[in-house]
Amino acid sequence: MNSKRCAGCKYLRRRCPSNCILSPHFPPNDPQRFACVHKIYGASNVAKMLQQVPVQQRAEAANAMYYEAYCRIKDPVYGCVGTIALLQQQIFDAECQLAKIQAEIAVLNGHHEATHQNQQVNVATSSANFTLESGGEGTFSSTYDPSICQFY
Amino acid sequence: MSANTSSSASGGAAGSSSGNTGGGPCGACKFLRRKCVAGCIFAPYFDSEQGAAHFAAVHKVFGASNVSKLLLHIPVHKRLDAVVTICYEAQARLRDPVFGCVAHIFALQQQVVNLQAELSYLQGHLATLELPPPPPPSAQPQPIIAPPSLTIADLPTGSSAAPATYDLSSLFDPVVQPPWTMQQPRQMDSHQFGAARAPAEASSSAGTGDLQELARELLHRHRTSSTVPCNEVLPLPPHSK
Repeated sequence: MNSKRCAGCKYLRRRCPSNCILSPHFPPNDPQRFACVHKIYGASNVAKMLQQVPVQQRAEAANAMYYEAYCRIKDPVYGCVGTIALLQQQIFDAECQLAKIQAEIAVLNGHHEATHQNQQVNVATSSANFTLESGGEGTFSSTYDPSICQFY
Repeated sequence: MSANTSSSASGGAAGSSSGNTGGGPCGACKFLRRKCVAGCIFAPYFDSEQGAAHFAAVHKVFGASNVSKLLLHIPVHKRLDAVVTICYEAQARLRDPVFGCVAHIFALQQQVVNLQAELSYLQGHLATLELPPPPPPSAQPQPIIAPPSLTIADLPTGSSAAPATYDLSSLFDPVVQPPWTMQQPRQMDSHQFGAARAPAEASSSAGTGDLQELARELLHRHRTSSTVPCNEVLPLPPHSK
């Protein structure tokens, strides 16, 4: 028998055996933890659920039960389902924002491409010399001076 | 799970004070093999057909007396939602004896983190596009988004912007299984909730289908309004010492 009872056995006012299943997960220095799970699940249900779980996972199971019990006490109607709802809302909002930003990026990419193509055309037309060809009267060359906007 | 139709005319979502009026015991009393008295608190929510199966899960996880005490402290017009969420948690706990519905919470939290990281990245990218003229794109490696180790501190707090109302039926969508759940399970700190371990079976979508049906049926029959008010977001539980 443990010289110091676990929070569960202390709460239940009973002996705490050396192989107490609650003892590793409900230490005596945190009575509120056991009080929470006992209020929602009951000590016997907690012990049964912990027994069904492999020993190495019992700590995680106890933590999860404590969290669910805590949420249920704070919000008796929705419990931790309220947290689920909030997270789903956050996901929805983030996905909407993501779609909006992706659309903005697509628009800007299109704009930049158009601007880049225009710049290329301007570079070609602003060169000092280019050759004009006439359709059926032979070719002739001329030079375009952009400063005077005249061919010479 | 559906309401006991024999009492639905007088009760329905309001949670009538009269129990079963002649259609046999309610699902809870049927399971418990006891007389279903008038005013049975479970009668409006557990019918004698499918209700017994659903109540079995609730009784196994929470216990009938605990659920009864819980419902007694809840206003009558809120009891339907409470029953639905209790059934959900019970089913989740039976499906995953280690994490229960907390696994779902961690999966959603991981999704939120990933989406926020993606948002930050794209916002940075958008900022560079808006600058004239953009420098030639250099070959930079994509930022690796490493899933952070989740703790209870990462869960939403009361200061978050919570929706005023939400549709309960949307809460029972199939559990999203993020890629990390298929990885090697990581240990949780015994004093904190660390990253959730992958469920042993990835068959939650099949199980949640029943729960979805349950929730929709309940809500369709009993809800008077399309949405229900959402209580304030729960603050984080104190860490165990």
